[in-house]
Amino acid sequence: MTVVIILASLFTLLLARVPVALALGTMGLGMLVIGGFSPLMAPQAILSTLDGFILLAVPLFLLMSNVLLKAGVGADLFNAVNAWVGHWPGGLAVATILSCGVFAAISGSSVATAATIGTVAIPEMINRGYDKRFVYGLLAAGGTLGILIPPSIPMIVYGFITEESVIALFLAGIGPGLALVFFFVVFSMLHARFFQPGATGKKTPRADRWKLTFRAFPSLLLALLIIGGIYSGAFTPTEAAAVGFAAALVIVVVFLRTLSFADFRAAAFEAMVTTVAILLIVAGAKIFGKAIALYRIPQDISMFIGDHIHTPLAFILVVSLVLLLMGLVFEALSMVLIMTPVLLPAAMSLGFDPIWFGIYMVIMVECALITPPVGLNLYVIQSVASASLSDVSRGVWPFLMLMVLTVILLYLWTDLALYIPFKL
Amino acid sequence: MALFQFVLRAGAGIAATLFIICGGMLTYEVIARYFFTRPTIWAAELSQLCLIWGCMLAMPWILAAGRHIQVDAVARLLPPATQRWLHVFVMVVIAVFSAVVVWYGFQIFYDSFERGRTTGSMLDIPIWISELSIPVGFLLLMLQALIDMVGKLRGPVAAESAP
Repeated sequence: MTVVIILASLFTLLLARVPVALALGTMGLGMLVIGGFSPLMAPQAILSTLDGFILLAVPLFLLMSNVLLKAGVGADLFNAVNAWVGHWPGGLAVATILSCGVFAAISGSSVATAATIGTVAIPEMINRGYDKRFVYGLLAAGGTLGILIPPSIPMIVYGFITEESVIALFLAGIGPGLALVFFFVVFSMLHARFFQPGATGKKTPRADRWKLTFRAFPSLLLALLIIGGIYSGAFTPTEAAAVGFAAALVIVVVFLRTLSFADFRAAAFEAMVTTVAILLIVAGAKIFGKAIALYRIPQDISMFIGDHIHTPLAFILVVSLVLLLMGLVFEALSMVLIMTPVLLPAAMSLGFDPIWFGIYMVIMVECALITPPVGLNLYVIQSVASASLSDVSRGVWPFLMLMVLTVILLYLWTDLALYIPFKL
Repeated sequence: MALFQFVLRAGAGIAATLFIICGGMLTYEVIARYFFTRPTIWAAELSQLCLIWGCMLAMPWILAAGRHIQVDAVARLLPPATQRWLHVFVMVVIAVFSAVVVWYGFQIFYDSFERGRTTGSMLDIPIWISELSIPVGFLLLMLQALIDMVGKLRGPVAAESAP
């Protein structure tokens, strides 16, 4: 009963438009007071969140991708990839997905990925006569690769609240990320084959290919530096973000010379706003998490699930349905922060690996990012392409199916995520 | 009131600058460790200080600018008069929560300040330097919520004029 009252009050606050961070904080604080626990825990939870070294990676990754976005690195990357695959069936679409994949290896945010590649790819594809709904769906979905292929801000946050290794999460994201890229590419080629016979570009001459690749080379190197640096243990994710930000600045200021000081200021300001909005939610969730732990709610839910759901399959089906429904109205990261503390103990008692569960959550978040009415990536594509929300929303569903397919694959074959971090 | 809005705006600007400085310090740390084999004792700790102060200083402005993440889908469908009352309610919730956090956050700060607690790390700086950020940030947040609330009660347009 307590669980129902708590969730109902939380959802009332959230739906009444109390900012998510403060709704979580207020609920947590209220529960502490009513339960006779010390309210000192509220400011302590905020302090311990914002004092965390691992969360420093959030502003730094955002600074890096915003700088690259403002400097127009997306165009270089897209042109280079397109030079290699443009003559395939649906070549531009394939190039778009692959560019998203590469940019995802630099950026930890799906919004930055969708915006960076979308600004370039959408006009190109529309000019070439691609169906616009397909284009919007492709970009909205391709952008979500930003959080599955490392680095990834939701993984940093998940690692922080569950005290799991962020590095293991990053590595576990690679397999499913590549699987999703593969599905998107195959779908794009089939789509072109059957619905857009004219959508095949000319083959780019070899000399031009290398010239365009050379222009995009710094960004490719940056991706390699970040993943290689984290994988080899040369630096922590936070340091990788700092080095990546510095390297991105050097690339765009010294080599490409496409970033003005005004652009830099705008990039830094936007990164700051996103960072603070995200980290405050993490802090609010920490207070809420503390309160529900003191009320022993995760254990109650675990017991409830244990009594009613006996197989891991049934658990994942129920949880997926709940997350998909929540994803309709919830902002993605808030969903991870509210549901992870509630669900993870139950998931672990059913034998799920916490790293695997993190990757699963991230893919569910990707779905939430592209399901209307509230999906951050839909809005990004809507504003980048000046399109209608309904066109974007309708274009998205085949890609949503492919994400669900990836979840099924991940469920049947857990090594898709766990092989790289634990068995390689 | 204009002065208060200026303070909030300045807080946001300082936050953005602090985050850039974090990037600089941590890059220097990596370079110092690998190229000079002399890791710093200050980079990580000062970066964490920048993060917490940055978040707390930017938080009130982000409320004023309406940039906090919130769930709009349902409230948007309500009639404007109801939405206005809802907005007042939201600001009251924020103000009450902030007031409690200011009160207890100040106690944490004051306790550390009086006892002269330090971080116990290599740098060993007083711990109240980071703890002070909480009461400061939430005090500004509380004031902004109250200003916003009063503006909304006086007239439907007033609250939208925040920068």
